[in-house]
Amino acid sequence: MDVFKRPRFYRSIISLVVFLVGWELLGRYVLTNKLFFVPISDVAVVFWKLVQNGQLGVDAAASFTAIAYGMALAVIFGVAFGVVLGASRTVADYSEVYLNALYSTPLVAVAPLLILWLGIGLASKVAVVFLISVFPIVISTAAGIRNVDRNFLDVARAFGATKFQIVSKVLVPAALPFVITGIRLAIGRAIVGVVVGELFGATAGLGFLIATAGQTFDVPDLFVGVLCLAFAGVSLTWMVQAIENRLVRGRPQGLES
Amino acid sequence: MAQNAPSVAPDKLSVNAVGKTFLTRGSSLVVLDDINFNVRAGEFFVIVGQSGCGKTTFLRIVQGLDQPTSGGIELDGRPLHGPGPDRGFVFQHDALFPWRTILRNVMFGQELRGTPRAEAEREARKIISLVGLAGFEQHYPHELSGGMRQRVNLARAFAVNPDLLLMDEPFAALDALTRESMQQELVRIVAETGKTVLFITHQIDEAVLLADRIAVFSARPGRVASIVDVDLPRPRTLALKRTPEFQAMVEHVWSLIAGADHDGGPPTGAHI
Repeated sequence: MDVFKRPRFYRSIISLVVFLVGWELLGRYVLTNKLFFVPISDVAVVFWKLVQNGQLGVDAAASFTAIAYGMALAVIFGVAFGVVLGASRTVADYSEVYLNALYSTPLVAVAPLLILWLGIGLASKVAVVFLISVFPIVISTAAGIRNVDRNFLDVARAFGATKFQIVSKVLVPAALPFVITGIRLAIGRAIVGVVVGELFGATAGLGFLIATAGQTFDVPDLFVGVLCLAFAGVSLTWMVQAIENRLVRGRPQGLES
Repeated sequence: MAQNAPSVAPDKLSVNAVGKTFLTRGSSLVVLDDINFNVRAGEFFVIVGQSGCGKTTFLRIVQGLDQPTSGGIELDGRPLHGPGPDRGFVFQHDALFPWRTILRNVMFGQELRGTPRAEAEREARKIISLVGLAGFEQHYPHELSGGMRQRVNLARAFAVNPDLLLMDEPFAALDALTRESMQQELVRIVAETGKTVLFITHQIDEAVLLADRIAVFSARPGRVASIVDVDLPRPRTLALKRTPEFQAMVEHVWSLIAGADHDGGPPTGAHI
């Protein structure tokens, strides 16, 4: 109940209402050429139409399947490799240069190559999502492992922890906030990845919807696609935030005193 | 068996000619040189010395966190190699895991050994109430004060039921009042559990209050300058600190430290 009285809640609502009303007025009285811009009410009508004829469901499912598989692979591989990278100086020396290069390269550039290799369809989209979202997870996890307080390692060793126990009971839990930060950064990139994959070549998906709409000057369709992606980004980030709050509860909020 | 020598308990820990040399940029630094002493079962043995006398390095060697360059250590007649659950270590910085509740911090050692959860939890709850923290099992470390965290640190070491407790200046980071009450607590807990303790500190009054025997370390290289029997009556309370016998013992230890290092200050510098 109290949540509705919180400034954070009602300010978000006010902001959203102002934004939607502003959009509507802009579309009706300022940018009236429907080839460039449409009022939000037109977008809403098209949205409802696309929901009812099932097309939006098909596209959204196609995109989110690719995001889900790609992210799942990225989290599994990214955390595992990040732990090794953070714990082993040797591995870091051999691989750091490539990681930094790949992290800062716009990997969307290799999307056409992946489509060549894997064909149009789910596999190539999953590959793009994975490739683009795995690096923040690897790099953030490794940073988290390197940041683990040496005293924690001494405690674990003093109590006779095995190497595996040091990793599973000290390094990973201690690095968890870093891992989650990496995942949160990765989500934004995963959405970019799936759209890029679908722009280059796809038969379904929100990116495909946007591409088709753009080519046919169908501005309302285009906005439906974009808004769905925005909504997905917001809600996925919110989800990770909620998981984060649950997992890192009990930790001091600010700096350790 | 020990009828002939009822006052002397068997040796728990034997330290035989332990030396430690660090190599840094080609030059070598002798940190510990020919350390020899024995700790008896049930004894509270304290090492005092100035910072840099190698006492922390020595304790880490006993725990197995560092290796000696020469010599060896035996616990109950068995040579020690590496860390083991037969020793519990109380760190200077409590280093409690912030993602674990107090209960699960205390259960850490048992968990590593694969003790069944219910049993580990029962044991941990017992120790938590022994250190006076019953009711705080589900709290997280950051919700506790420095003194309470140090109690958890003690409890974590006690929970593995070690033969020997190693304590590395556990109260150094606490304020004076908290330190005094923790010293009292430690005296009580050790008396209740009958553990053998090897404790290091740079505070002479703390050493005298707690110890059955005190080893005075000299600095650079760390050597045992002398070993002092503290024959003050037990139980030791804060009132003991005001007695002339206590003061005399503190001054005696001070003179030994000053004598060991030649550059020590006057006895008035003791923390009393």
